Amino acid sequence: MTRQLLKLTLTWAFLMAVAGGEFVVSGMQMEMANRPVLLFFAGTMVFTVAMMFMHLATAPVVAKGFAVAGVFWLIVLFGFGAADMLTRNWYPVQHYNPY
Amino acid sequence: MSTTTTVEARKVEESYLSDKFTLASWLVTYDHKRIAILYMISITFFFFAGSIAAAIIRWDLIVPEGMLKDPETYNRMFSIHGMMMVWFFLVPSIPTTLGNFLIPLMIGSRDVAFPKINLMSWYIFVIAGCVAFYATFVGGIDAGWTFYPTLSTGYSNSFIKVAAAAIFLVGFSSIASGVNFMVTIHRMRAPGMYWHRLPVFIWSHYAVSVIYVLATPMLAMTMVMLFFQRQFGVGMFDPQLGGDLVLYQHMFWFYSHPAVYIMILPGFGVISEIIPCFCHRKLFGYEFVVWSSIAIAVIGFFAWGHHMFIAGISLYSGLIFSLMSYVVAVPSAIKVFNWIGTMHKGFIRFDAPMLYALGFVLLFAIGGLTGLWLANLAADVHLHDTYFVIAHFHYIMVGGMVSALFGGLHFWWPKITGRLYPEMWGRAAALIIFLGFTMTFAPQFILGYTGMPRRYATYPPEYQVLNVLSSAGASILALGYLLPMVYLPWSLFRGPRAPANPWDATGLEWQTASPPPSVNFITTPIVTTKPYNYQEPEVLEQQRQNG
Amino acid sequence: MAEPELIVEQEFQYSSLYDQGQTAIVGMWLFLAQECVFFGGLFLTWIYSRYWNQAGFDAGSHGAQLWIGSINLGILVTSSFVYACALAFIQAGRPREMTWALCGVVALGVAFVGWKLYEYHLDFVGHFWVNDPDFPIKGELEGGAKLFWAFYWTGTILHAAHMTIAMGLVTYVIRRGFRGDFTAQYHAPVEVIGLFWSFVDIVWMVLWPLIYLMGRMP
Repeated sequence: MTRQLLKLTLTWAFLMAVAGGEFVVSGMQMEMANRPVLLFFAGTMVFTVAMMFMHLATAPVVAKGFAVAGVFWLIVLFGFGAADMLTRNWYPVQHYNPY
Repeated sequence: MSTTTTVEARKVEESYLSDKFTLASWLVTYDHKRIAILYMISITFFFFAGSIAAAIIRWDLIVPEGMLKDPETYNRMFSIHGMMMVWFFLVPSIPTTLGNFLIPLMIGSRDVAFPKINLMSWYIFVIAGCVAFYATFVGGIDAGWTFYPTLSTGYSNSFIKVAAAAIFLVGFSSIASGVNFMVTIHRMRAPGMYWHRLPVFIWSHYAVSVIYVLATPMLAMTMVMLFFQRQFGVGMFDPQLGGDLVLYQHMFWFYSHPAVYIMILPGFGVISEIIPCFCHRKLFGYEFVVWSSIAIAVIGFFAWGHHMFIAGISLYSGLIFSLMSYVVAVPSAIKVFNWIGTMHKGFIRFDAPMLYALGFVLLFAIGGLTGLWLANLAADVHLHDTYFVIAHFHYIMVGGMVSALFGGLHFWWPKITGRLYPEMWGRAAALIIFLGFTMTFAPQFILGYTGMPRRYATYPPEYQVLNVLSSAGASILALGYLLPMVYLPWSLFRGPRAPANPWDATGLEWQTASPPPSVNFITTPIVTTKPYNYQEPEVLEQQRQNG
Repeated sequence: MAEPELIVEQEFQYSSLYDQGQTAIVGMWLFLAQECVFFGGLFLTWIYSRYWNQAGFDAGSHGAQLWIGSINLGILVTSSFVYACALAFIQAGRPREMTWALCGVVALGVAFVGWKLYEYHLDFVGHFWVNDPDFPIKGELEGGAKLFWAFYWTGTILHAAHMTIAMGLVTYVIRRGFRGDFTAQYHAPVEVIGLFWSFVDIVWMVLWPLIYLMGRMP
């Protein structure tokens, strides 16, 4: 019981530290690295909450599968969805007078 | 909270139908079998609502200038037809009726995992249906079932917001059913019912539930944004504000393409039950049929872009989506070959369910193969938005799914009601539906290929012959659908009593009484064999010779 | 024919309390997978909107109240932590402590929504409502900035709706907790609703950088 509470408190402190780190990093000049780094911090927090507060590690194996499925489908969505945006050709509209 | 091992003796002896027959006992029931019946009644209602709109569409297209003389009414009719048929009939059709009824029976369980959520999903469905009914019949929708902006957000002067709310709501009902089915199949199988002993019907419903659960939320988000754009003028889909018009189509089809597989996978499951039973053979290549269902459910999510080839998506993206659309055809073909392999050298009985199944295989094959034409980037430029597309997806959804629904309904009718339907009328209806369907939609392939676009109330005079043929076919089809509506209810009162296993079929659902008791099984069934454990024809032949 | 086998389990499946609890947890995880895709649609619009209008999008995000968003993140992380403690209490068979911890969770939820409403107030005063005629950013950047605010309003309203539902659910658990329904053996509702609460927390962890941090760079 005490052990469990101590573990949760340490997790809470870790999450706060990561959030603080994310906040500091977001103010730095990092050009293109900005987004991946922020997403890494956010991903760390999400993973920590899932493991420590939601007890994903000790959940039934089917539940783990569902959690992985949720992430996998997100990758499908972003991958196929953004592929179009990133490779699209733009043809400027020709303003001409046919007469 | 007590355990569920003890039940009242009354519930063991009486069937689920005779166990208290009051309206209140039906409306607050947690019994999956009764909820299935409730769903059956409601989707039949929406099926007829959508059918009336279809009848008016076909009536309008008898003459080139349109019988209605009013394009606005025509637009409303095809919008009613699309909305009612897709969300309130086809998407819930087999899973919430036959699936709800049979999944616990087939896996040897007493109920689904979350019975209260099961009942809640029906109530949500009915409320959403009423809202949609109000939006389409009282208010009127003219943007089709796809609600593409900027027509829906800027120009359409109809009840788009109400319709979006209805679709948002009905999504909850789909998700609730999907969660229920998946968890039930995972956790409530009878002892010995390992994964590769599950009937294909169960596997199909597992695949459908994956789509229900993981695609439907995207539709909900799309409808929320559509609502916000129309109500508050937020511009995610509005190019004038920097938004992206095609983004709407990406989000919409991320749901709606997998939803196409919602509208066929349960049909595969039903057919995979009927064909082995009426050929009296093991299902050929069980593992392949099973895993092709799962493959369709997953790969189906990678192919949504083929609805948008001419909407302005990038060529690179179009190529990938085209490839994926070809890939997803492979598992469907595997199934067709396996059904034919099952029929090969079987003792085929041509009872009504088998006639529907044969119709399904043929019509689905045609619908699937024409889909390959549409998956082709270059051919799609010509065929997109023509009647070719209409014919293609009606072959799959009506020729496929509705045939499967009727086939399944006839197959399990003795189990559901405890009565036998009149076999002669069943066969007649199956043949009339097949003929009427072919006459309605085969001409539309030609119409579309020669260039008749969809969603117009009028057309050039040279298309009239084929259009009249199609409309005539539609009236035959209507007769075919009305017949079961007469003889099935008749059999409820006058049909002979059904034995527990009238078709001599395998499967746990046939081992309990017809109709089943409220608790499904009086003792826990124990499974020791693979499914479709039919005796091979050679063995039967030998038995016959030995007398 | 398969060889005969020994069946140990003769009870109806799903008959034990433990099994029912695990089933509910599995169901909730599946529901959360569904929620992932739901918010995934929102994030896809973020990707599209920002990609086409980066300058305007970031200019719009400068108007967001960074400090309120960050305080709210702290509140939510803490609430999730308190919920996890409540679960630890009931697993150790201490329902009183669990119920009071859950009261703390709801209090933190109310604090979150309160700050959120104050933030909405500031946004309205700053004319950041999407179709406000006095929208402060004009000219070339206007479209992108409005898209940012469209994302902001859609995302935060949906998140707040989830928060409200989650608070209602926790209140239900508290009521049952005071009635003494939960024991160390039976506490499936506590665990299942905790999963939902933590998921709503997770959504904010992703929304926070997307709304407040990405545009901070000059």
